[in-house]
Amino acid sequence: MIEVSGLKKTFGDVVAIENVSFNAADARVTGLLGHNGAGKSTSLRVLYGLIKPETGYAKIDGIDVSQDRITAQSKLGVLPDGHGLYTRLTAREHLQYFGRLHGLSDDRIEARSEELIRMLDMQGIADRRTEGFSQGERMKVCLARALIHDPRHVVLDEPTNGLDVMTTRKVRELIAELRTLGLCVLFSSHLMYEVAKLCDDIVIIAEGRVVAVGSPEEIRAAAGVDNLEDAFVLLSEQAASV
Amino acid sequence: MNVVRAVLIKELKDGLRDRRALLSAFLFPLLAPVFIYGLMTLVIKQNSESEDLVLPVIGQAYAPALMHQFEEAGFILEVFDGSPEAAVRDKSVELVVQVPKDYQETMANFELTRVLVIHDGSRNDTRTIVRKVRRLITNYNNELAALRLIARGVSPKIMQGVRAKNSDVASDEQRAANLLNFIPIYVLMAAFVCGLGLAIDNTAGERERRSLEPLLINPVTRTALVFGKWLAASALAGAGMIITLGLCLAAMLALPIDELGLNFTLTSGQILMLLLAILPVPMFASSLQLLLGLFAKSFKDAQSYVGILVFIPVIPTLVLQFLPVASSLWMYFVPIFGQSLMIKEILGAETIPLLAYPAAFMTTFATSLLVCWLTGRLLNQERVIQS
Repeated sequence: MIEVSGLKKTFGDVVAIENVSFNAADARVTGLLGHNGAGKSTSLRVLYGLIKPETGYAKIDGIDVSQDRITAQSKLGVLPDGHGLYTRLTAREHLQYFGRLHGLSDDRIEARSEELIRMLDMQGIADRRTEGFSQGERMKVCLARALIHDPRHVVLDEPTNGLDVMTTRKVRELIAELRTLGLCVLFSSHLMYEVAKLCDDIVIIAEGRVVAVGSPEEIRAAAGVDNLEDAFVLLSEQAASV
Repeated sequence: MNVVRAVLIKELKDGLRDRRALLSAFLFPLLAPVFIYGLMTLVIKQNSESEDLVLPVIGQAYAPALMHQFEEAGFILEVFDGSPEAAVRDKSVELVVQVPKDYQETMANFELTRVLVIHDGSRNDTRTIVRKVRRLITNYNNELAALRLIARGVSPKIMQGVRAKNSDVASDEQRAANLLNFIPIYVLMAAFVCGLGLAIDNTAGERERRSLEPLLINPVTRTALVFGKWLAASALAGAGMIITLGLCLAAMLALPIDELGLNFTLTSGQILMLLLAILPVPMFASSLQLLLGLFAKSFKDAQSYVGILVFIPVIPTLVLQFLPVASSLWMYFVPIFGQSLMIKEILGAETIPLLAYPAAFMTTFATSLLVCWLTGRLLNQERVIQS
């Protein structure tokens, strides 16, 4: 269970997010939808303990991230905004490094790595250095390393951004699979149809504020339109004009 | 502790696989013997007398007695034609001695006779031979004066007044060590050069390739990450520094230092003392590099900041060059200054106060820890990711 309440963050004079509140429940997929620069990444960064909010809190299973970052982070699997790899390490070595940072035993890391490599179809690239990996291959390594410690909460910042059709499909399958496993999945996207297809709950964020929360049906009803994409555009424009 | 070890192992593995960076890092220690050998042979050549001293002279015939003196001193005289100034200037000759045409005449009239020594004062390599020629002429003058006094029935002893007598308090080892002033610089520089690549890649590089954010999401303290990175960079810097020290010492032992009338010996005790003295330097260097690497806005920025650090080991020698003071205990407490002093003194077989070892070690090590702690604090700040 992820709870976010009343977050505010400013960078200099710019208010990046203000009064951002939403929840993400277990065994459900929650989508954070917004245009580029709407405040999605900032909200998520607060959530995974990289920046501190000026007001409000983010809690993972009741643990406040600002107060106990380390415990909160150990419960999270994160695909952050920046997803750089170490070009001289193999995919498997990435998993090993991150597994060790999570305090897992080497046996556990090895078993879990095999599982993830199978799950993400990485058999062909697992023991290659990541230099020269395609965008999709890199994304797989990032996803695998985010999941190495078998977290109960998964936060993915734009997981399908810049991927080809095949990998995008694979990522969507993974998100669906994580839900069946009972995980709490929160992901951000600027693609309406993706969110509509995958999510049980949607949070629309515009101009640093949450403008709508609910199931796809509720969102449509709130905007008074039939089409979800129209609802998204309408709500975002309303926020911008305020 | 496990986190520190995990980071250390990863950074070393990553760093050692970067063959090109590694090669450029370790080129510095490998060039040490070449550099030292070249420089030393140059110094030795300048200080020792060459086999045959050729002396170009204009007007040999005017001063046969003086010429005889030169020949006795081992000079091979050579008749010189043309413009002596031009020849000296274009370096085709080291110097030219010109005897004036009226030499015999002025001599007979007891007038002052000037023998011209034409040389280039800006050349270091001819200094010895010019000095020797001058000394010979002075000696000849003294002899001549003495003979003139005797001819007048006066004892040449009345000319003796006061003369300086030399008593050099430096031991042979000290003079050799003086000559090898650059060894501390070179060895300490290696500590700053060899871990540099890893330290920058570790910090500025990590941010540039956008892998810093994923790293900071892990449930570990930032200080543990810094310590892991610090130890990795220190290990590489330490390896480079010890290789440099070994190669420098080997080069010195292989050199013909005895030609200078100096001797350089090395006991295993001295080697141990050297290692003890310089051990904390790589840690110090790496800690500063990590801090600057993280502080810098970009990879390029980091490179220029860290590049400046390389010159830190030059400072103690420069300071002592301009402010020659006897070493006192406080100096050993200053990082790099203490080590620089100790290397010089150990090589010069001087006795160092025993307290110097813990003093230099403690302050240098403590400073490194403090810098690492600062780096950890910097890593805790949000702006570190948001550049």
